[in-house]
Amino acid sequence: MEYNQLLMIAISVIFINNFILSKFLGLCPFIGVSKSTRPALYMGLAVTFVMTASSIITWGIYSFLLKPFHIEYLRTLSFILVIASFVQLIEMFIQKFSPALYKIFGIYLALITTNCAVFGVAVLNSEMFLKVQDSFVKSFIFCLTQGFCAGVGFTIVLLFMSGIRERLEFCDIPRPMKDMPIAFIVASLMSMAFMGFSGFRF
Amino acid sequence: MKKLFKEFLKGIFRENPTFALALGLCQTLAVSTSIVNGFGMGVAATFVILGSNIIVSAIRNFIPSKIRIPCFIVIIATFVTIVELVMKAYFPLLSKALGIFVPLIVVNCIVMARAEAFASKHTVVKSIFDGLGMGAGFTLALVLISGIREAFGNGTLLGLVIVRNFEPALLFILAPGALLVIGILIGIVNLLSQRR
Amino acid sequence: MNNLTVSPAPHIKSGLTTQRIMWIVILALLPAGLAGVYIFGICSLKVIFISIISCILSEAIFLKFRQRDTRIILDGSAILTGLILAYNLPPEVPFWIPVVGGAVSIIIGKQLFGGLGHNIFNPALVGRAFLQISWPVYMTTWKNPRWALDAVSSATPLAKEKAVNFSYIDLFLGNHGGCIGEVCILMLLIGALILIFTNIISFHIPASFIGTVVVLTWIFGGDGFFKGDFVFHLLAGGLVLGAFFMATDYVTCPLTNKGKLIFGIGCGILTSLIRLKGSYPEGVSYAILFMNAMVPLIDRYTKTRIYGISKT
Repeated sequence: MEYNQLLMIAISVIFINNFILSKFLGLCPFIGVSKSTRPALYMGLAVTFVMTASSIITWGIYSFLLKPFHIEYLRTLSFILVIASFVQLIEMFIQKFSPALYKIFGIYLALITTNCAVFGVAVLNSEMFLKVQDSFVKSFIFCLTQGFCAGVGFTIVLLFMSGIRERLEFCDIPRPMKDMPIAFIVASLMSMAFMGFSGFRF
Repeated sequence: MKKLFKEFLKGIFRENPTFALALGLCQTLAVSTSIVNGFGMGVAATFVILGSNIIVSAIRNFIPSKIRIPCFIVIIATFVTIVELVMKAYFPLLSKALGIFVPLIVVNCIVMARAEAFASKHTVVKSIFDGLGMGAGFTLALVLISGIREAFGNGTLLGLVIVRNFEPALLFILAPGALLVIGILIGIVNLLSQRR
Repeated sequence: MNNLTVSPAPHIKSGLTTQRIMWIVILALLPAGLAGVYIFGICSLKVIFISIISCILSEAIFLKFRQRDTRIILDGSAILTGLILAYNLPPEVPFWIPVVGGAVSIIIGKQLFGGLGHNIFNPALVGRAFLQISWPVYMTTWKNPRWALDAVSSATPLAKEKAVNFSYIDLFLGNHGGCIGEVCILMLLIGALILIFTNIISFHIPASFIGTVVVLTWIFGGDGFFKGDFVFHLLAGGLVLGAFFMATDYVTCPLTNKGKLIFGIGCGILTSLIRLKGSYPEGVSYAILFMNAMVPLIDRYTKTRIYGISKT
């Protein structure tokens, strides 16, 4: 197993091609849920979990259903249905078995259903790994790593952003820029900072 | 007839999906590196919004409320798949440029939001105009942002050089530039609507 | 009613106003700038001048736009930003680079957040990053010192493509290509000493920043472990300029000493990573900007206990 490649995927997806700051996947929750730290952390964890699980499930669907029967064009349809159903199932599961946990995570899960990030990582996985790889084990590990690390990258940026926005509440921001515009400006500056990671080689 | 036209205009100005509702931002920022790409995405999205609005509105009285979201998803995904395949076949360059963001139209908040908030509650004709309006508003916003980014970041508009000896600022074609442009644009929109 | 002033604490005023601090920092930076002009010639002076003017004008225009008191530009912070930005530029950049850089620094990096004290990111570094990403060629076209034999574009010590060997003395005195204010370590250290002696900056950030870079480049910088040339990394590039003058910016660094140490270590780790593993030759600017984004979180988790309140 080439561990180097895994490390490169992880570094790439967390820092160099960060999902939010570089690929813009997951912007809606980023702007919406990043106003304070605690919700941001929970959202990040929820997204990471859903991303990882979705990566595994969509790996299964693509490898065992779509590719063998040559119905890859059904990717969009199948992926989104599966992801939406999965999130719905998780929501119901949590609601039944841990109402306390549901109280914390519940709303975030609903937001994740049509989240660009989750669907995006699944599609990205299929483009980058599943179309080319022949070995099941290899493609599984790659998909899993990318899904998990994408979530990690998402969570890190969300945390940074929430800390900053909490502080911005006390700042004398010009009225037209308040709330959303300044959030985008901050994201832009963070994106500039993350560009320092480009070209990393291990 | 006037009422219908109002629905159309609403999508462009008062409820512009990008500037007023902040929906579909992922795509907007990712593909707006050139006017051609932005316009292409806008047209593709408009087709999907229109198609899904029509179908959802047509069968709105037959869908049980509990499973309406999955139904919407199926309808939207179908149209997106059609667009995906058509683009791959007839506009391969555009398809490559837009990349994964074509299938991502399926999670574009605009489409789902219009289906849920409007098409499921109004007639087919009204939904058509709403869909066209939203799509047009989205396309307009895309073209505007792409125009700015292409002009500053590449020195060109639609591939034609506008000012000679202009040193383009690469930042605008890259990720930080997109975020910067939309931040400033929303700020300007806020400023103008304040002044009104 | 003029005898009753209601204002927040502290009510005992020291002689150290914001203005005074700014001007002392500017003073501390002058030796490095003079060295830059001496080494590279009048072009450096032009860049410094244009940068400062651009910053002041941008601030004045924006304040007018917001209908605020334009006398704020006299508090020295715009001039300081202009100076630091210029120090981060190659000596022979076209005139519009510091113009754009100054405007971006002040407007996007500072005023859009609400002005002095409200910005999250170091304004000069915002400008520099903007310029570097937008016009990478201009920002990496260097000039040799005036007395060097070939006056055309040269390599800087950190440039990975051309491995030119510079002696430690050359690096220390600034006898090589580079940005205006970063090359003469000697002058920078003199300025740094001024700041430390006047208690304007504490040693926490520079020590942890530079220390981390030294340790990491020593361990990982060479072929095999513990063979890295850490003296080289100490003297080359913008590390000294960044660690003493940019990372220590009051507004954008953590409040507590513990936070400052974390900040410095983080900057050091990132700088070393970018220098050793990334494709950019210099990582100080990006490292500081990245850590700036982390500062609100750092502050949150290194809060000092408020006397009299329980731990929850």
